[in-house]
Amino acid sequence: MIIDVQLASLFTAVALVVIGIFAAVFLDNLIKKVIGLAFIGDGVNLFLISMGYKAGGIVYIQLPGMAADWFAQNSAYPLPFALVLTSIVIGASTMAVMLGIIIVLYKKRGSISASKILGE
Amino acid sequence: MNLYDLIVKKIKDIQGVGDESPVTNISTSSMLTAEITLISSILVALIMLRLVNKVLMIVAVLVVLFTVLTAMPLMPKFKKEQNDSLASMMFYIVIALAIVITLFYWGNLNV
Amino acid sequence: MNFLIALMVIVPILCALFLNLLHKKDRTIKVVTVLLALTLPALPLLANYGLHYFGGYVPLVENPTLANNLPPLITDTALNTFHPAITYSFQSAQQLFVFIFGLVALLAIFVSVFETRRPSGVYAYMMFMGVAAVTAVILTDDIFNLYVFFEIAALATVGIVLVSNVKGNYETALKYMIIGSIVAPLLLLGIALLLGVTGNVNITDIIYSIKNGLVDPQNPVILMACALIVFGWLYGSGLPPFHTIKSAIYSKALPSGAALMQAFSVFIFVAMGIIILRIFSYLPFSQWVILGVSLMAMILGITMAILQTDLKRMIGFLAVGELGYIGIGLGLSTAYGITAGLFQAVNEAMITAILFLGFGVVLYQTGISDTRKLGGMMVKTPLVAFLVLLGGFAMAGVPLLNAFQSKLMLIQGSIKAGLPELGVIMILLSIVTFMTFMKAFHAVYLRPMPDELVIKHEKIPKATIIAMLVLLGVCLIFGLFPQVATSYLQPLATSLAGGIL
Repeated sequence: MIIDVQLASLFTAVALVVIGIFAAVFLDNLIKKVIGLAFIGDGVNLFLISMGYKAGGIVYIQLPGMAADWFAQNSAYPLPFALVLTSIVIGASTMAVMLGIIIVLYKKRGSISASKILGE
Repeated sequence: MNLYDLIVKKIKDIQGVGDESPVTNISTSSMLTAEITLISSILVALIMLRLVNKVLMIVAVLVVLFTVLTAMPLMPKFKKEQNDSLASMMFYIVIALAIVITLFYWGNLNV
Repeated sequence: MNFLIALMVIVPILCALFLNLLHKKDRTIKVVTVLLALTLPALPLLANYGLHYFGGYVPLVENPTLANNLPPLITDTALNTFHPAITYSFQSAQQLFVFIFGLVALLAIFVSVFETRRPSGVYAYMMFMGVAAVTAVILTDDIFNLYVFFEIAALATVGIVLVSNVKGNYETALKYMIIGSIVAPLLLLGIALLLGVTGNVNITDIIYSIKNGLVDPQNPVILMACALIVFGWLYGSGLPPFHTIKSAIYSKALPSGAALMQAFSVFIFVAMGIIILRIFSYLPFSQWVILGVSLMAMILGITMAILQTDLKRMIGFLAVGELGYIGIGLGLSTAYGITAGLFQAVNEAMITAILFLGFGVVLYQTGISDTRKLGGMMVKTPLVAFLVLLGGFAMAGVPLLNAFQSKLMLIQGSIKAGLPELGVIMILLSIVTFMTFMKAFHAVYLRPMPDELVIKHEKIPKATIIAMLVLLGVCLIFGLFPQVATSYLQPLATSLAGGIL
């Protein structure tokens, strides 16, 4: 049985987002919280890139000899690919800043429990 | 005990024992102002329901007025809810997300 | 000179990168920072109206040589008119927004280099980066580009808070980032849904697709996208339920940083509000959501402001509450109401900056922001007290100053739109705003000075007074001649309202 790739990746994306939101809301360890947040971002990125999938499509590079007409009809959609790269870079930098702050807070307060250092 | 003392006592009760900040004249009057502002703006905003249904508006205003009067000092509770802890912020954010999505999704499809 | 449109975003980024290299050279940093910041308000004045295409082509319909060799599959369909590039649109309204934003940024940066004892390139870097990001959010016509710069603005905000050295700044910054990391992907999800339905990220093209029946406007996926984008908008501008974290963020920054950050919020609010109105105004529901959220922001923001004892937190909540006025203008969806809302946005960005800078002088002198421990500063700094008082008058809407004009327009607009209740609430909350301001003013300036209050710095930096005078001058000009501002905003408002006066 062949599972549709796009459908499978959409389900994975939903699972990632749900797990991520659960972790971000309910886990107390700040590092685990950040991992949960990374899950949300990854899930959305996966969703975004699966928008560009085309069953039986080709890579969007027009090689010599390909007719423009045929290429336009058969290539996959390139835009989500470009967008997702940018979004991954932003996600990575946000993550780095968050982890950096957690290191500073751990040095100052000696704990990485959200309820202890991020309470009132 | 006159009315002012009653109000101060009420605020002290709600603040609890942990908060050592004194209940001053200024803080009492701010609390009263906030309370009255909150109630009156909600009631005035409810009048906009007349665009949906006039009877509904009257019922809603009366019900809210009654609930508010019985639950009277509202503002200390509101202030306690809108605190700076991450957990309570997160709670309201998830609630808000649910409300926004529900309103847009079903509100538009079924109206 | 259309390339100036691109420079409005590129110049601040370059300035930021350049200043980051100058480390530990105090004098050079001061001079260079102020000189570079002068370009921020100057560029929008010099640029011509028009579109700028970043890294792509003009639409095929305007470029026959390129369209020549393409199959009819592309040239005969709507693809011919689409924008295959990141498009920046610069019209009269954007000109006013970028100019006022540049002015506030210039003055905030100007104050920051003179108020901090050791000006650091890093702080200036964060401020310039944020300015670039928000300018891009104002100009962009590309919804993914909007998301990218939205995130950069959030990171710059966090950076401004982290370098402030105020107690508790790391905790608040982390909270802001955790919340941001939940909301921003959801905003991106909304954008991805729009991309999935319309195949486009250019806003003009998305609207074309929806209006011309290329996609079904009542498609549930579009409704979901609208909900998620609205949610991102709430976070970006600090509307409820994000008002607590937003005001906390303001209170953990230096006064100059807070003055700049509130301008970030105001202009992100306006830019995204305009986009929501442009794409989704065909849903009658979107208007009511904008109105409801704005009402909540006003009521919760202002009632919370009056209860605060921390000076910066108080103004932070007031800043959030005042956003509601702008939202009511946008939510009225009439040309007059939207003009009033946009005008209020311009005014509010300046007035809140005055208050942050003015009360910032007290923090600079004493290092205390708790109103219960302050007092008697009138004797020490009568001029600053007078300027702050004028700022408070402006915020409350006293005649001759700008917010009087915009709030009057908002009230008239709400009556014309058949919702006089909104006018009543706005008047009521304006009074409470003024009372909150007077409470802070009394606590800081009027009542006798407590014995234990120590003044660390007697001298006030002249830069702060100059900055406040400039902003008050612009407020007075807009108050006396509101047409100066509204004539810039009217074309945009008319097109947003779709012919409803």
